[in-house]
Order: sequence, then structure tokens, then C-alpha cells
Amino acid sequence: MLQPNDPAQKIELYLRQVRSGLRSLPEPQVADILQELRSHILERAQSGGTLSDTVTDATLQALGRPLEVASLYVAENVMARAESSRTPWTVLRGVFLWAMLSLKGFLVLTVCLIGYLFGAAFFIAALAKPFNPHAVGLWTTGPDSYSLALGMTDAARHGRELLGWFLIPIGCSLGGGTILLTTHFGLFCIRRFQRARVTLGLGGSHE
Amino acid sequence: MDKWEVQLRRGCLELAILASLWPGRLYGLEILRLLEQDSDLVITEGTVYPLLSRLKAEGLLDSEWVEAEAGHPRKYYRLTPVGRRRVAAMGRIWSRFSASLNRLLSRVLKEEK
Repeated sequence: MLQPNDPAQKIELYLRQVRSGLRSLPEPQVADILQELRSHILERAQSGGTLSDTVTDATLQALGRPLEVASLYVAENVMARAESSRTPWTVLRGVFLWAMLSLKGFLVLTVCLIGYLFGAAFFIAALAKPFNPHAVGLWTTGPDSYSLALGMTDAARHGRELLGWFLIPIGCSLGGGTILLTTHFGLFCIRRFQRARVTLGLGGSHE
Repeated sequence: MDKWEVQLRRGCLELAILASLWPGRLYGLEILRLLEQDSDLVITEGTVYPLLSRLKAEGLLDSEWVEAEAGHPRKYYRLTPVGRRRVAAMGRIWSRFSASLNRLLSRVLKEEK
């Protein structure tokens, strides 16, 4: 990429690069972040009212690589969201932001999605049982088949239901347990991720 | 820098930022200058702003934009009542903790000399 010589252009290029790393955050927050960084850079780099070239370079270098700064913002944001209410929804949103940054985040998102889907399936089956007791259940499709079907299924015609009304307490506790476990797993991963990011950022200038 | 030292500095940074805001409102660069001057928490400047944004999201800090003579507005931070209680509690824990650690370490450092 062509490197601009003008200090003002260098600053704008830097901020554009930070912006490109902040795509997962809402626009008003991004605008606020960029304005604060711009204000910091201008105040540090202006000596005697004019932008000095060497001081601008030093200022940008002291701030750190633009994508690194952006990912710190995203990491802190993920952390704040997840810690603010610790509900499945906020954890999932936090992990979703992280998934856009790295493969690890994507893997954690996949595990969390599967966990929440399983949890929700148990719950829905338990809730639907009273309304349609003959169709909702945990079915085996035959004596020589071990396949299990949870929920409403046409297996009812030729299969056997295993749990009966026990589906309600078992579904509720398994559903609740799976959702709780997934939330804790998500939070645990987010905390580890955030610690690694910030440590990386701190070490940056001393490398 | 030693990995342990990086972790230690990182752990203290949050407390240092909150403590720097105890007397009143400051903007980001003032906090940075204060940290450089009053403590040897050498920090990459780019880590402070994201941390400030999280502390704000957690309700420990409040912020407002103020027009400055310099021509560009400054974002000032101040401690919220929750933030004040938090930094006071963190300070008490820290001073108890460091006092006992210093007692232990005084023997190590004396013999090393």
C-alpha cells in the first residue's frame, strides 16, 4: 500500500484501519471510539499548533498497530457484555463478536450454539408434552434400531415411547442444565480470550 | 518482558486507571500522563482506551465530550458512585495484600544483597 507522507493523511489512514477492525460494533460506538483516538493523536502530535511528521509517527507507534487496538476494543466489549448480565443471550452475542475475529471464537460459537439448541429442544419437548401427549416423547423407532427421536415425530405410529410423563421433569432439568453449562462454558472461554488479548496488547511495545 | 510481569501490570492497570480518577474528571491523555508520571506502569497507550470503554460499559465510569480550545473535543471520564465504592474496596484489598507480600519478600531481598 502507498504510504502517505502528509501527517494528517497518515492519521486518517490509521483511523480507517482501526475502523475496519471494528465492523462488529454498532456505528455510534465506532464513531465515538474514532473521535476519541483522533483527539488523542492530534493532541499528542501537535507541537506549536502544527502537525509534526516525526511526532505523528511516534504517536501512532505508541498507540499500537491499528488492528490490534481495534481487536482490544472488541475484546473489552465482548467481556463487558458477557459480564453485564451473564444471560445466554448476552454470552451468545459476546461469542458472536469474538467469532468474527478469530477461528477460536468461531469454534466456541459453534459449541455454544449446539449447546443452546439441545437445551432449547429438551425444554420445548417438555412444554409441548401436555398439549399433544401422544405425539411428543422420546421415541425409539423399533426393536432392531437404536435411533432416538426427541419431540414430535411420526415415529409414534410404529415406535415406542420411552419416558412417558417423566419427559416433563427430565426435559426441564436436562434443558436447564444444558443451557446453564453452555453459558458457563461461553463465559469461561470469553474470560480466557480477553486475558490473552490484553496481555498481548500490553507486551506489544516492548517487543 | 517476562510473561508474569506483563500479567501483573495488566492486572494492576484497571486499579491504576480507577485510582487516577479519584480526585476528579480527566480525559484519556491526562490519565496516560498521570500513569507515566506517578507509576512505572509502562503501558502501550492503545490498551488504555479500550479498557476505559469497558469500565464505562460496566458502570464504573461516566464520560462526557467537552469542547476544548485545542479545536478537537476531549472525552472526559469520571468515577460513578459504584466506581468510587469499587476503587475504595480494591485499594483496601491491594494494600493488605501488598503489605503481607512485602513482609515475606523483605527477607528474600535482604539475603540476595
